[in-house]
Amino acid sequence: MKKPKVAFFSLTSCEGCQFALLDLGERFFNFLREVELVDFSLIEEIPFPKEKVEIDVSFVEGLPIKNEEIELLKKIREESKILVAMGNCASLGGIPEMKNYQGKERTIRYVYKKLNVENPEIKEIDNFVKVDFYIPGCPIHGEEFLKYAKELTEGKIPEISQKPVCSECLNQGKETCFLRKKEPCLGPITLAGCEAICPKNNQLCYGCRGILKNVNLKGFLETLKKFKNPEEIEDNLEIFGIKDEIEKFLKP
Amino acid sequence: MKIAIPHIHKIEGEAGFWAKVTKTGKIEELKFQTLLGLRQIEGILIGRRYFEVPIVVSRICGICPVPHILCAITSLENALKLKVSEQTTLLRKLLLAANIVHSHTLHLFFLSLSDFFNIENDLDLLKKFKKESKAALDVRNLALEITKVIGGRPVHPITPIVGGFTKLPEKEKLKEILEKIPQAIENANLLIETFKKIEYPEFERETLFASVFNGKDYPYYLEKIVKIGDEKFTFSDFYSVQIEEDLKSPPVKRVKFRGKAYMVGAIARLKNNGKFLTKNSKEKFEEFLKERKLNEKEYFKNIFHNLFSQAIEVLQFLEVCQGLLKEVLRLPLKEERPKIEFHPSSGLSALEAPRGTLFHYYEIDREGRISNCNVITPTAQFLHNIEKDLKTLLPQIVKLKKKDQIRKIRSLVRIYDPCISCATH
Repeated sequence: MKKPKVAFFSLTSCEGCQFALLDLGERFFNFLREVELVDFSLIEEIPFPKEKVEIDVSFVEGLPIKNEEIELLKKIREESKILVAMGNCASLGGIPEMKNYQGKERTIRYVYKKLNVENPEIKEIDNFVKVDFYIPGCPIHGEEFLKYAKELTEGKIPEISQKPVCSECLNQGKETCFLRKKEPCLGPITLAGCEAICPKNNQLCYGCRGILKNVNLKGFLETLKKFKNPEEIEDNLEIFGIKDEIEKFLKP
Repeated sequence: MKIAIPHIHKIEGEAGFWAKVTKTGKIEELKFQTLLGLRQIEGILIGRRYFEVPIVVSRICGICPVPHILCAITSLENALKLKVSEQTTLLRKLLLAANIVHSHTLHLFFLSLSDFFNIENDLDLLKKFKKESKAALDVRNLALEITKVIGGRPVHPITPIVGGFTKLPEKEKLKEILEKIPQAIENANLLIETFKKIEYPEFERETLFASVFNGKDYPYYLEKIVKIGDEKFTFSDFYSVQIEEDLKSPPVKRVKFRGKAYMVGAIARLKNNGKFLTKNSKEKFEEFLKERKLNEKEYFKNIFHNLFSQAIEVLQFLEVCQGLLKEVLRLPLKEERPKIEFHPSSGLSALEAPRGTLFHYYEIDREGRISNCNVITPTAQFLHNIEKDLKTLLPQIVKLKKKDQIRKIRSLVRIYDPCISCATH
């Protein structure tokens, strides 16, 4: 059987999702042995061809900030059967999207006062090209990647089951639950699959995996407002780029 | 003649190289250029709450989130005049030492080694170096395990916060790691042997080496002194007076020391603090000098030895981890939540990240929000040094075939282990 052609691309980002893959060690290399690798600049030398290539699945990490990155993204789309947004930045704007909420001119001028810096509004990759599947998380969860990647390389688009982070949380229903302690944890509205790693480590969920479908967002936010001031809740929603998603959901 | 490498693979982040050089080797233009966009992490942090800082700065870089988190929270603690416990300090030192081990191992084995054997893909490298690749993966896995047990996960650890940790590691798990260290040390020795046998290209250029310094041990975590060349400065003097940031070419800051290029990272630490290495690491270093018939001066003139210096540091910091684990296991680990009081203030911190000295500076207001900040990364400090070395290299390779020229340039750039996500942030 012919091996599926797979490529990994990194736009502006911390590249942490790629490292989450490398951190799988031998298991990730085993995955790579089952595919034909078209491009993955972190581990191979061959330049991504200028001419047209055919790719079965492309995984794209990060954000297109530079024009060259937008061009590359479009080329990737044209040449890929399936294009996957890998991680929180590519899917939801991530940490860099905070810039949008605070006035991007002010933010970008903070260090480079008068120089000409490319400073677009931070936009997720699906603002530029059609995205077939989103792997959530900041960073992505390596195990989850392997599961989805298998289906994707078989040409299938995986279904992510719509469960909240709370369903995986050890604190659920206990005294230690952040919400019981009146801490604004976003577990109930956030997509599970991370094994509730932040609450497990005694840290609030800030929703890096994105908002669940079919959830009573309005009701949840009203509940939070009963014990936290709106400004603090807004601040929390800004961290991983979900504030704009919530605004979209809540639009009448 | 023009030489262009639009995208240099196998480094952290995206960067390229352009040069114009005459047939006689006169360089008319030369540039090592980063290709990532500016996220402007500092600008993003203005107005944010102090506890968001570690979450945000860890996302500067997926390979070295630990030093960014630690440098940021200790700088904030300096601003808030917050003293942390011995337990917190030991656990942080463990995290940082483990980060250096994992980052170096990745660079040594998966990014740089193939340059010396003309291998273009890591899967082929794994085939050729079966035993060595298993050793490298095992060492790296152990370092990642330390990060996971203490930090919650390897990429973007969760637990370290201003004042301490959200959650303490389980002693049982730390014990398990301690038991695995002798095996990891054996593997590190195997890696040193691999990197001892490599034929490092002949290369000569003197430069200045900077790192933290304390005159007692091989320092890496929160030191007060920075040593550069033969001079010593307090870290705040070095940061605020002795170095200058050139902001003319965003998205990177390019840093110089009194107008001069300098080098940070493994080779710089070895230069400034080599005599404080552990006994085993020192022996391995001296063996190398002896076998190559090199004196120290010659060793440090050849930047390609940064690679061997990293191999030495893998052993060094594994031994450091071993000592720290024993110390931590002697303590009765207990939950701590020091009280935080806000007042307008500022703080600076300096520590050794895998690629060199890292500085984080913050100002905080009376509500606990950030009013000013600055991050100076190791890669921003050695960008000038890379270009200087490339300028030295180029005239020596003008007569080679294009393919070989490109190979030489790539390999010199990779020796630095540049981190472009950090440099641009």
